[in-house]
Amino acid sequence: MKQPTVTYFGEHALLLEWKPAIDEHTLSEVLKIKHHLANTCKDEIVEMVSAFSSIAVYVNKNVALQQFAETIKKELKKSSKATSITRRKVQIPVCYDVKYATDLEEVAEKNKLSVAEVIKLHMKNPYKVYFLGFLPGFPYLGGLDAQIHTPRKETPREKIEAGSVAIGGSQTGIYTTDSPGGWNIIGKSPLAFFSIKKDSPALLQAGDIIQFKQISKDEYRKIEVEVAADVYEIEEEVIYD
Amino acid sequence: MIEILKAGLYTTIQDKGRTGYRALGVPVSGAMDTVSAAMANKLLNNDTEAAVLEFTMMGPKLQFKVPTVISICGAAFQPKINGKSIDLNKAISVAKKDILTLGHPEFGSYGYLAVSGGFEAQEVLGSRSFYKNITKNSNLEKGAILKLQNPSSEKILRNASFAIDSSHFSDNTIEVFPGPELHLLSKKFQKEILASTLKIGSQSNRMAYVMEGLEAFSAKEIITAPVQPGTVQLTPSGKCVVLMRDAQTTGGYARIFQLTNHAICKLAQKRAGDKVQVKVKKYYNDN
Repeated sequence: MKQPTVTYFGEHALLLEWKPAIDEHTLSEVLKIKHHLANTCKDEIVEMVSAFSSIAVYVNKNVALQQFAETIKKELKKSSKATSITRRKVQIPVCYDVKYATDLEEVAEKNKLSVAEVIKLHMKNPYKVYFLGFLPGFPYLGGLDAQIHTPRKETPREKIEAGSVAIGGSQTGIYTTDSPGGWNIIGKSPLAFFSIKKDSPALLQAGDIIQFKQISKDEYRKIEVEVAADVYEIEEEVIYD
Repeated sequence: MIEILKAGLYTTIQDKGRTGYRALGVPVSGAMDTVSAAMANKLLNNDTEAAVLEFTMMGPKLQFKVPTVISICGAAFQPKINGKSIDLNKAISVAKKDILTLGHPEFGSYGYLAVSGGFEAQEVLGSRSFYKNITKNSNLEKGAILKLQNPSSEKILRNASFAIDSSHFSDNTIEVFPGPELHLLSKKFQKEILASTLKIGSQSNRMAYVMEGLEAFSAKEIITAPVQPGTVQLTPSGKCVVLMRDAQTTGGYARIFQLTNHAICKLAQKRAGDKVQVKVKKYYNDN
């Protein structure tokens, strides 16, 4: 894959950009390089934000940007030989009951499908977490079946509850904190996707693969209690790329 | 301790902001005008990381429960202690039971109150800066009690005061670097945008300042990419916003400029209706 371009992004940041694309190949390249830079340029880098096909590298205020851009370019050449990174596959329980799925019927109607078909299509494929953004812990997921793409609502709701699983255009996502929003709500997960009490506050991270699993209202309540008591164990496995 | 008797408008605790969590989608936050907030801390010889109180357009009313030293910087609020005017940009001793009112600013938007030793708010993910869903409160309310870190009634810098740089408030030039998508606009568009006067819209807040005046222009949406405080976004319909301290970490609109930190501070002090002009700065002479 072609090396990304390196440009300045304000006084204390560099921007690494690949050809704009939303695909898994670009995602693994982005994550591989992010991982490599995190290991090799610890002293200069404060934090990095990766997205579909770019990485913002935020640096310490005392770092000379011009020089550091050269360092990064050298590291990019080395990183092509970098070792592969591991990913997690995480199972996300979702209750698609009307109680939690305010817009499920509308999504079915708009796509000329039955409610059961929408649920089946939504759960069918595993999704890739490309990156987190929009809200604390909010995963940008790739892999929604085209048959259930649904335009955002014309008037956004003032409050969508944390845990709500929704479809907005060609994307599906999980509202990780209470928030206003315009996506169509098709279910709810009882998991806590963002908690400041945890050492790593976000449940998901860029590169994770998630699989939705349908649960009943009773199961939802049971898991909700376990999550609140911090005893719920997430089903996950590690995958080696 | 300090008790908030009247909350004022969007009064919050802010420090240098929350770094290290942007990859999780957590905004940086921190004082809107870091230059003025730093000045308030410096007057008291506080640590640069010390938390200050930030308020805008209508200041809070508060009562001190302990004697301490304070300083007020930023917008030209009209502070009074027990009804008697006090100076801005100066270290001032306050006594137990003193009541401080801030009033409205004559010019500027954001004001900062520092106390000797700094405010002691709960540190969440490495910062005391308020942000919805991260800290318990997103803004202070009437009756809130603020704890002080190390209250000291000694003026460390004797009679410390600063002359303010009035251009920080009056200058209408906003220095920017070219943004990642600026080159995608036609040369004609770029030239015209740079010649445009931008008016600050009324929906401006800690997250973003809305800029009016580019409605005739248009930029294609991009595949969601990183944004930061100071990123200027232009939408397909010519809506223009400058992201401020509570900005989200990624966005899908064309990033046409990137403000310098100093420019963010200057812009923060503008009000709805104020006009500014952008001036493009080169990163390096050879770039």
